Amino acid sequence: MLNYHPSIELLIDYSAGTLSLAHSISVSTHLEHCAECRRHVSQLNQVGSHLFTGLHMTDSHSHEPSSELNSLKEKMLNNLSADIPTSETIEQAPFDTNTVSARIPRSLHQFIQQDYDQLEWTRLSSSLRVATLCTDTNGSQVALTRIKAGSHIPTHSHTGEEITLVLEGSFSDEGGIYKKGDFISRNASHKHKPVVTKDAECICLTVLDAPIQFTGFFTRWLNPLLRKHHPNGI
Amino acid sequence: MNKPLTDDVSSLTNDMAAIANQRDKQALSRVFDFYAPKIHSFCLASHPGATLMADDITQEVMIKIWNKAHTFNPNTASLTTWIFTIARNARIDYLRKNGRHQSNIDPEFIWDNIVDEDVDLFREAQREKDKKMIAEGLAQLPNEQRQVLVKVYLEGKTHIEAAQDLGIPLGTIKSRVRLALNKLSICIAR
Repeated sequence: MLNYHPSIELLIDYSAGTLSLAHSISVSTHLEHCAECRRHVSQLNQVGSHLFTGLHMTDSHSHEPSSELNSLKEKMLNNLSADIPTSETIEQAPFDTNTVSARIPRSLHQFIQQDYDQLEWTRLSSSLRVATLCTDTNGSQVALTRIKAGSHIPTHSHTGEEITLVLEGSFSDEGGIYKKGDFISRNASHKHKPVVTKDAECICLTVLDAPIQFTGFFTRWLNPLLRKHHPNGI
Repeated sequence: MNKPLTDDVSSLTNDMAAIANQRDKQALSRVFDFYAPKIHSFCLASHPGATLMADDITQEVMIKIWNKAHTFNPNTASLTTWIFTIARNARIDYLRKNGRHQSNIDPEFIWDNIVDEDVDLFREAQREKDKKMIAEGLAQLPNEQRQVLVKVYLEGKTHIEAAQDLGIPLGTIKSRVRLALNKLSICIAR
């Protein structure tokens, strides 16, 4: 049973398709771990589907498609291949899913073809490494953070909203203990100091609107490094 | 509201099997007649006047239905919900490919039917119950609550954009959505 979930607004935007792709990745990854949220999204999809069903009813026309749609249909039917779909006609993933490690969430398969170790990790400190996965059109950045067992992350605040999803291990901060699958959202008003549990390293998926700011006296030097690795960095 | 449609949808569900197994173009043609006008209106709802875009997406969705018919499982999602999610993803993908800003994130692999994968009898019964509650709830929803859901689901607006459109505070939008979900018996205590 997970304790930390996306807000209802995030689930709705996800189900309606209005959520940015970067944020959608974090919600999808949470869903792989959370049956409760899967049910909610399934319900929300049904809401969308009911509204969708009612759509043409608002037109004054009958059930028959217009002549424009009919010509579109003819064109489409003529171009269809009658073959049973093969790997070519079905869109194939641009990667071989057989090589991906079982611990990688499916939502990340398009970025991680083997395992976490094969990614390009940048060392930010002796206990903290980051690897960028992708950048969304709005500039949000999706990255992985890898923190050694038992380490403290320097106190930091966020300049935008940050979503953290625990993929491996666990960590805690003033707000609680976060385990695999937990979805944590922090905004600019939070200033927190996470600690990774002693038994295992912690790997998190992070979605950042804007770079994190380290606020501790000894850790300010990390800020230029972080900015350098963030596409929005100034 | 759309009660008489139920029979259509169950015969179309059989058509899906004919598409998957016999590659039946007549069956696809019936699916087209029923769903293409909805897909078309769905695209025009978010982008009024963009008929070329609506044509492209409608065609794209129908081809997906043809190619993926064998993956449709009526026990895990209704045909309409299945097609709605394909149309939603196609609209996102169209905007991604044709937008001003390109992105290397492929939406196809984000949604990927995770949601409707749980197959067991308990989940099936739950889904049937949800379906009934949502259909009945939507029919009785006050207009101001329905309007917000339409903005979000059909017009593709974020909560903030919906607030701007309707000229009401974001907080009001959020509370209308929560009230609506309550009426649909979607209880999310957070």
